Amino acid sequence: MQEVSAQPGVVPELKPKSYKSSSELKKRLWRNKLLYVMLLPGVLYFVIFKYLPMYGLIISFQDYKPYQGITGSEWVGIEHFQRLFTEPDFLNILGNTLILFGMNILFYFPIPIILALMLNELRGTFFKRTFQTLIYLPHFMSWVIVVSISFVMTTMDGGIINELLSYFGFEKINFLLSPGWFRPMYIIQIIWREAGWGTIIYLASIAAIDPGLYEAARMDGAGRLRQIWHITLPAIRGVIVTLLILKIGSVLDLGFEHVYLLLNSMNREVAEIIDTYVYTAGLRQGHFSYSTAIGFFKSIIGLIMVMSVNKLSKKMGEEGVY
Amino acid sequence: MNKKSFTLLLSALLTFSMLTACSGNNNKNNEAAPGNAGTGGGTDAATAAPEPEKPTEIKIMLPLNTTETPPDTIKTEVEKLTNTKLTYQFYPADTYEEKLNSSFATGSLPQVTYLKNQTTFIQMKESMKDGQFWEIGPLLSEFPNLNKLKPEILNNTKVDGKLYTLYIGRPLARQGIIYRKDWADKLGLKPPANVDELFAMAKAFTEQDPDGNGKKDTTGIVDRNELVYGAFKTVSSWFGTPNSWGEKDGQLAPEFEFPQYYDTMDFFKKARDAGYMNQDFAATSKTDAVNMFVSGKAGMYIGGSMQDIDTLNKDLVKNYPDAVLDTHSMVAGPDGKFAQWMIPGYNNVVLFPKSAVKDEAELKNILAFFDKMMTPEVANLMYWGIEGTHYTVVDGKAKPADDKELIEREVKGFKDSVIGEAETNGMYQSLNVLPGRIHAEELLLENVKVGVADPTAALDSATYTSKGVELQQIISDATYKYIYGQIDKAGFEKEVQAWKERGGQKIIEEYNAVYKK
Repeated sequence: MQEVSAQPGVVPELKPKSYKSSSELKKRLWRNKLLYVMLLPGVLYFVIFKYLPMYGLIISFQDYKPYQGITGSEWVGIEHFQRLFTEPDFLNILGNTLILFGMNILFYFPIPIILALMLNELRGTFFKRTFQTLIYLPHFMSWVIVVSISFVMTTMDGGIINELLSYFGFEKINFLLSPGWFRPMYIIQIIWREAGWGTIIYLASIAAIDPGLYEAARMDGAGRLRQIWHITLPAIRGVIVTLLILKIGSVLDLGFEHVYLLLNSMNREVAEIIDTYVYTAGLRQGHFSYSTAIGFFKSIIGLIMVMSVNKLSKKMGEEGVY
Repeated sequence: MNKKSFTLLLSALLTFSMLTACSGNNNKNNEAAPGNAGTGGGTDAATAAPEPEKPTEIKIMLPLNTTETPPDTIKTEVEKLTNTKLTYQFYPADTYEEKLNSSFATGSLPQVTYLKNQTTFIQMKESMKDGQFWEIGPLLSEFPNLNKLKPEILNNTKVDGKLYTLYIGRPLARQGIIYRKDWADKLGLKPPANVDELFAMAKAFTEQDPDGNGKKDTTGIVDRNELVYGAFKTVSSWFGTPNSWGEKDGQLAPEFEFPQYYDTMDFFKKARDAGYMNQDFAATSKTDAVNMFVSGKAGMYIGGSMQDIDTLNKDLVKNYPDAVLDTHSMVAGPDGKFAQWMIPGYNNVVLFPKSAVKDEAELKNILAFFDKMMTPEVANLMYWGIEGTHYTVVDGKAKPADDKELIEREVKGFKDSVIGEAETNGMYQSLNVLPGRIHAEELLLENVKVGVADPTAALDSATYTSKGVELQQIISDATYKYIYGQIDKAGFEKEVQAWKERGGQKIIEEYNAVYKK
């Protein structure tokens, strides 16, 4: 691949100027035909799996009946959106979603960065690798497993944590059923499963930092912390901002499976989020149009968030994602 | 072409070949696709001029209650007997609703679609009214065996007085207690004759160290996060609560407006507060509950089917070879009366989507297959397996082979799809050896004598169909909160009020409007 990019005449055309005549454009297109051919699978993927399905959004304005199909179903305008916004639980559900999202940004987001900085300071390669692998591993367990493990550990019917608590003379705590414990459990599980995995990108960008900078800093008498603060962190700032923007794009998208597994009758008031609501009120009862309308609403909020954060980051002198 | 662009071309080609390889795989997974293209013409020809020697091709989608898709052993035999070519699409029962809904939404349901349970049936009612499924009521009389299906149960599955479904029959009342008889004997306890004794048994199983290990590590009742098929509804019917809906001052009213419902909640509240049942039952799955029971931590498993004793026993004796299980269901309420809620006689139904079954001739061909399924020969094959391999006949009853894993793997998938029940399709009754199971079968008959039917089973309410499940959640959440002491009686009544305001009142009115007729 390096060979290819070194080829003169291929790379400089990444920033095309406006062409005087269409024949020149054609010539250029033809010259790089192989690159375009390679682009094709990617384009096809997005067209088939991302753009064509948008056609289905139509049913959020319809009273969709599978037998009649999209073309035959009755139009109802924005009825489903009205139903969503007038639902008595709507504000509560939206609030829960936003709080969980806020906790995600506040408590989870910085952890991979801190972990990556710490890993970077480790000197022994063997130890570093082992530690890194260990914190990756939970990522490969499904949510079902993660939640089951915490069920077994925290249940009041013989769970190890409650057994320990009562052994040391404390009251047993009902982790699984109390609304107060839902959010901490949720965020701890996310950190446990994802933090190690999240370090990958940061570690990669740290590895790309010119070692000369550190040498120069050391010459000037900078200690470890100074080096982190003045070299490592500024160097990965761009990556942090990009990842933050992407994360914010999925603001209302917290992962259905995880929350659904933790949800029960006792913690519903804090645990019901938009995704689980779509499932219980929409899909399980076969209200397809309604579910689609909620999904639509979610995507629009996500789009708005990404665009505004992107703009903000550009104003602050960062690159943004587009 | 120089070397570099050759590399480029090569990698492009590779990408493509990988893509095509993937799509090729997809086709293979969807094995039916090529056959389907061929049969499209085939069935047309068959409907034009029905030739008996040409097998009818039928695609069937159904829930699978085991972990593996069964091999073709049974299917091949069924095909021979019924002159069909069957394609079974098994999907795990746990996620079957999702599969059902997504297939339905995309109009890709196969010709024969099994639902999952009564709840999925209620959800589909609206689509049946919309005419998305074939009405089969008028055709049944043409099929001698299908005609034997019990009219009172068919009646329970009618939608607006029309019949769209065939039903998979189940005993009307299978609920009861499966309990540790060895523990009870050791503590000198008799099976509970009334709800007070039931509570006393839960207490004794918790406090008197029934497993004799010197530690207080047992609980009386193990329950799970399920009010209907868990312990709650069964105990509730012992207390005398009506089955979902009951008559109050000449009007239909939901069960949670009856004082007995509160009594039941108090029973569970007391039991949980005192530690006589698993503390986290509102978050306990069925698997976890069963595990607690078979690992010797709990003494009573209430609700569910008493016929499950075979499976529970199998796993329990692995851990405790001396354990003895028994069943019990005759628990009198505070007024001394017996009662037991009943299901409407089916646990699942079959639908025939119009999107897949093109015309009435094709529908009749499919119904002919189900008609044959209701002969003893085919029913036995699908329910019990192959005689000599999966079961033997002893005293005119089927005795399952010792290799339970084999039966589970090869037969179970088809077992749950048999239309009707032993009385109507003539298949063998089961020969039971486990004393607790024999007792369970006797209790099933006793249960029906004191059975309480759901008066709304055959009634229709538009609001219930569209919002009932969602609304029911308000009530079940409130019930749990009451048992856990988060709300009191007034708090519960407030939730009932919320239920009414958000559509419950309408459901009451709609049911009463049709009830009086």
